[in-house]
Amino acid sequence: METHQLFKKNETYNGLYAMLLVNRLQMLYFFLIMPSILINPYMIWVLIAVGILSQLNLLLLSKWLLTRLSSNGYNGFVQLFGEKLVRFLSFIGLFFILLKLSVITLGFSEIIQTFMFPSTDTNFLVFFIFLFCCYVASKGVEHTIRFVLISFFCTFWMITFFVFFFFPPIAQLSDLYPLIPMDWKVENWKAFFLILSSYSGPEFLVFLGPWLKTNNKTFRYLSYGNALTVVEYVFLFIASLLYFGSNYLSKSKYPIINMARYFQNPVFERIDMVMLSFELFNLVFAVSLFLLLFYGASKIAFGKMSKPSSGKGLLFSVFLIFIGMVLVNELFWKSWEKQNFLLNLQIIAGSISYFLVPLIIVLVMKKKGVKKHAST
Amino acid sequence: MEKKQIESKLVTQSIAESELSIEALKKILVQMDDAEFVEIDISDIRKIHLVYIRTLIDQEKLNESIIKPLTSCSKPSIQDCIVNSSIIPIPTFIEAKKQLFSGSILLFDSSQNLWLAVPLKNPIGRAIESSETETILFGAKDSFSEQVEQNITLIRRRLPIHELKAEKFTVGSLSETSVVLMYIEGLTNPDFVSTVKEKISEINFDLFFDSSQVAAFLEEHQNSIFPQFQQTDRPDVVTYSLELGKITLLVDNTPFALVAPITFFHLFQSPEDYINRWVVASFLRIIRYVSFILSVTLIPFYVALTTHHYQMIPIQTLLVLVDSRSKLPFTPFWEAFIMLIFIEIIKEASLRMPTKTGQTLGVIGGIVIGQAAVEAGFASNVLIVMVGISTIASFLIPNYLMTKANSLIQLMLLIFSSLLGIIGIALGIIAILAHLNSLSSIKQPYFSPVSPFFRKDWIDLFIRGPLVKMMERPEHLKPLKLKRYKTRR
Amino acid sequence: MRLHKKIFKRLILLFMTFWLSGCAHFTKNNLIEEISPITFLSISKGDKGKLKISTILPPLSKEKKIVMSQEVSLLKEGVQKYNLNFYQEIKSGQMRMLVISEELGKDGIMSIINVLLTDPDISLRIYLVIVKGNFEEYLESQLDKDENFDYSFYRMLKHYEEKNQGELTVVNLHEFKNLLYTPYSDPFLPVFKIQEDGVSYEGTALFQDDKLVETISSLDDRIFQLINNDHYLEVLPIPKFEVVLGHVRSKIIVDIDSSYSTMTYTVNIDTRIEEYRGEKQLFDPKELENMKKNIETHLEKQTHELVKKMQELKVDPLQLGVQTKRPFSKPMEEKKWIEMFEKMDIKIKYIINIDSLTDANSKRQNL
Repeated sequence: METHQLFKKNETYNGLYAMLLVNRLQMLYFFLIMPSILINPYMIWVLIAVGILSQLNLLLLSKWLLTRLSSNGYNGFVQLFGEKLVRFLSFIGLFFILLKLSVITLGFSEIIQTFMFPSTDTNFLVFFIFLFCCYVASKGVEHTIRFVLISFFCTFWMITFFVFFFFPPIAQLSDLYPLIPMDWKVENWKAFFLILSSYSGPEFLVFLGPWLKTNNKTFRYLSYGNALTVVEYVFLFIASLLYFGSNYLSKSKYPIINMARYFQNPVFERIDMVMLSFELFNLVFAVSLFLLLFYGASKIAFGKMSKPSSGKGLLFSVFLIFIGMVLVNELFWKSWEKQNFLLNLQIIAGSISYFLVPLIIVLVMKKKGVKKHAST
Repeated sequence: MEKKQIESKLVTQSIAESELSIEALKKILVQMDDAEFVEIDISDIRKIHLVYIRTLIDQEKLNESIIKPLTSCSKPSIQDCIVNSSIIPIPTFIEAKKQLFSGSILLFDSSQNLWLAVPLKNPIGRAIESSETETILFGAKDSFSEQVEQNITLIRRRLPIHELKAEKFTVGSLSETSVVLMYIEGLTNPDFVSTVKEKISEINFDLFFDSSQVAAFLEEHQNSIFPQFQQTDRPDVVTYSLELGKITLLVDNTPFALVAPITFFHLFQSPEDYINRWVVASFLRIIRYVSFILSVTLIPFYVALTTHHYQMIPIQTLLVLVDSRSKLPFTPFWEAFIMLIFIEIIKEASLRMPTKTGQTLGVIGGIVIGQAAVEAGFASNVLIVMVGISTIASFLIPNYLMTKANSLIQLMLLIFSSLLGIIGIALGIIAILAHLNSLSSIKQPYFSPVSPFFRKDWIDLFIRGPLVKMMERPEHLKPLKLKRYKTRR
Repeated sequence: MRLHKKIFKRLILLFMTFWLSGCAHFTKNNLIEEISPITFLSISKGDKGKLKISTILPPLSKEKKIVMSQEVSLLKEGVQKYNLNFYQEIKSGQMRMLVISEELGKDGIMSIINVLLTDPDISLRIYLVIVKGNFEEYLESQLDKDENFDYSFYRMLKHYEEKNQGELTVVNLHEFKNLLYTPYSDPFLPVFKIQEDGVSYEGTALFQDDKLVETISSLDDRIFQLINNDHYLEVLPIPKFEVVLGHVRSKIIVDIDSSYSTMTYTVNIDTRIEEYRGEKQLFDPKELENMKKNIETHLEKQTHELVKKMQELKVDPLQLGVQTKRPFSKPMEEKKWIEMFEKMDIKIKYIINIDSLTDANSKRQNL
């Protein structure tokens, strides 16, 4: 058997991959529940505004990606922060990854449980999803990054189904009124942070520097990915407004899936189940990427960088995450209020990480005077 | 080549040291009925010894071009006498042995103490016939045969350029099979050539009787069910592949050439694609992909829907399904599993039988047993229909090795679908795609041009674009010359 | 040795998958031959505030069928009671219709709708139907005659829903729910009447919130189809003028003045005369014009009465309130709208465009 090198680097991937990575990491779980928290039609503008904000973040991100340090991976970070700080930061990062992993995996398993297997324990579903993620992740970072293409091609087309809601008799322009906010409630702040948090995800690209081929077009590609997400969010939100009307929207827990349940197809009566299954592609891709990041981060945090990466190590960390996730599931997710707490925690954590990671890196870069270098 | 010699030296160490002489040859050819030692007296003092293996040489030609000229010749040198055959002087015993077993006649002129070899290979072999594994209606009908030289001829006729290189290697310590590596210099990426050369030099095995065995030693992923070398016996396919920038391996004694690097999508391309009009060809190619997906997922879907997701079945279909399933003893999974295994048995049996019996078998297996299974209440007629569709659909894939892999994928998805319904199928497909994504064929990604993404190559991927639009070679094959046309000055 | 171990491990894995697929206990058993996916439920009022739920069992198979009825206080309790009384498990994932009795409708059906909405198995496309008369008895009587009565009934509803056939009101759960939950609108449902020989379409039931308040039928219902539901009618017979209009298409323009006191409701109609048994020479353009005027005033009057009725009942199935929504102002309260709606002066205007009978005919008149 060939020895597994999970973090080996043979190829670098161009802007297209960066674009798809940004897009697919932003379309994970929150977009499925987003409309029921946004509710009001004027949130369309907030969606777009935060999208632009996220663009600024990507600008900072691309600055980091353009440096030589980023393509050095771990050593680059050590040069920037010093080894101890890097170890400390990656230790903190473990919790962020774990939180994000828990929310997206448990959230999705719960959806599957609700709509497809009502009597199945979500832990089983998490187990199965992890089993396959582990397989994907065991192919190494390189192949996992490449898997984004497959995940994109298998999931993106689904959104075109929702065009159906833009035609009468469902579509009524009046459902989108009023277009400007008349009063700003406290809940709207939650919605704002939810949006911010759902745009988060691309900050993990910081750690994928070695595999990304960067040039002066990188920012453009990152923006394309972000813009695609904005379009998708706005499109889905408008569709859900047209379908539910803003009054009923808050009562539906999974608006997007409920909309999908309304589709009719002569071959499959309930096309939403097929769509949910295809959505798994995206989930599996993201989870496997995060698993690899988790494994890498834990290696850094516990100072095992000199040891070669192995399948066993990955398996062990996946096992740890699985145990952690089962605990989170039992302790938090299954009761509604605590689940809400966890969601809020992820909303805040996502927002913070998306905001601070690129900002801090760029600030430290400025301080240390790291020069940009444009690799071709 | 040096390495090869060292190897063969190791094997025949004891004999290698002996000097080249008639006695030494007699020693190794003992108890060989077809080994012949002949002496020809030219003059009183001059005797010429002929050593050959009867079954390997052309005996008629032996008389024509060696014995007759030698007996009637008065010139002192043998080389001057034999004019219509090539003559190779042999310096060592090993070389003599090699020549002897490749169908040459050894000549020993005792007066000059000179050893010579005259190749006179027995031409027994198949004539050029039309391909039976990759039949097409229109297009060239010739196919490769077992003789490698003849196969090279077929390719050379199609590519009469000096850039077409053919390097010969010998593999197999017992079979001494010659493998010819063909590529177009200045077009094919030299990385491919060096990779293959390196791998061939590493082969350490005794016997090769088919090219797939050679492929097994060249592949990077032994445990995959997907073939990483395309096997074809059509010279036009090989030529087209060479033109795209791939390499080809011709193996002696088998009509199947190996083409690499290939991608998953090459398995769905048929030579006829480039003969049909592009719209039709595109349509047919899409049908092939669809039928592959259908053949792999149809029965798993049936199992998933009937065991887990009854909500998804349209009510009209449900009426039929409930009716046909109501009296069956097995759950859908076991029903489907048994039927699939059964179909595999029929498929395998009809292959092993002579052609005419095979047809009867198909009829009996397909119709009689299928119908009887329904009537006896072993399987539902809906399932029989689906098994039929998916089996026929699986035959649409032009690559035969892939057709075989198909049933395995189907079985795997079947198990997942019975476990987790559609989610199981989706997870199974994810696993397959992740596997394909990580595969490589002579170190080139197996799932390109989808992943990694090459936009321009999509013109000849799911569709077959018009030829006049395909002015560039596929990028994912990294050819040295991307453009297919001559640049005008 | 290592290879052997690996193969051994794999074999165990393979065996495990087989074993799991044989008796995977972590998913629900939904084998189609072991369940009874009911296609419809009929709900009516039982004794002492209970619900009477009935359906045909077994659904979808050719076995001998029976009508099962249960008196329960909760809807899902009924489904559970069926399970105790029948050899197959009842599943609701294939439910296509919910038949609600008129009396129950008058009491309010909010709780039933909510049950349907919370069950993720139940499609949002199931049809809601109001029935006048005793549906259970009718089912009993149909068992022998019609094998798949439920299925044919479902096909009928589906047919009229799908391509805007313009005959009946067909409302599915999603549409009903949306009308129920959005302000300024009230839901409506089709009404079927049980007669001795069959089920016949009666008209449209108007709801105030979740309570049935009025059933409109015959011409009123036709007008309702025309101006709200389908905007298309296959035929519109007007016996008063001995004329039948065919392929009637309508376009509605609603104008509301800024003080929300008057509303002009303009109905543009494109149609052609399908049948005429009167005395008038309709080939003459003038006569046709007269006819048009007559029909216009007739329809205006009828529609006005219909809208008046709605105003009196404070129901707004036409969603007129939506017209008050503006992109840049705060939407008004629902109560305020209802008050306004009651008092609002609604002017109905019909503009009918009848395709002139062919040129050839009109020319012949001139000759």
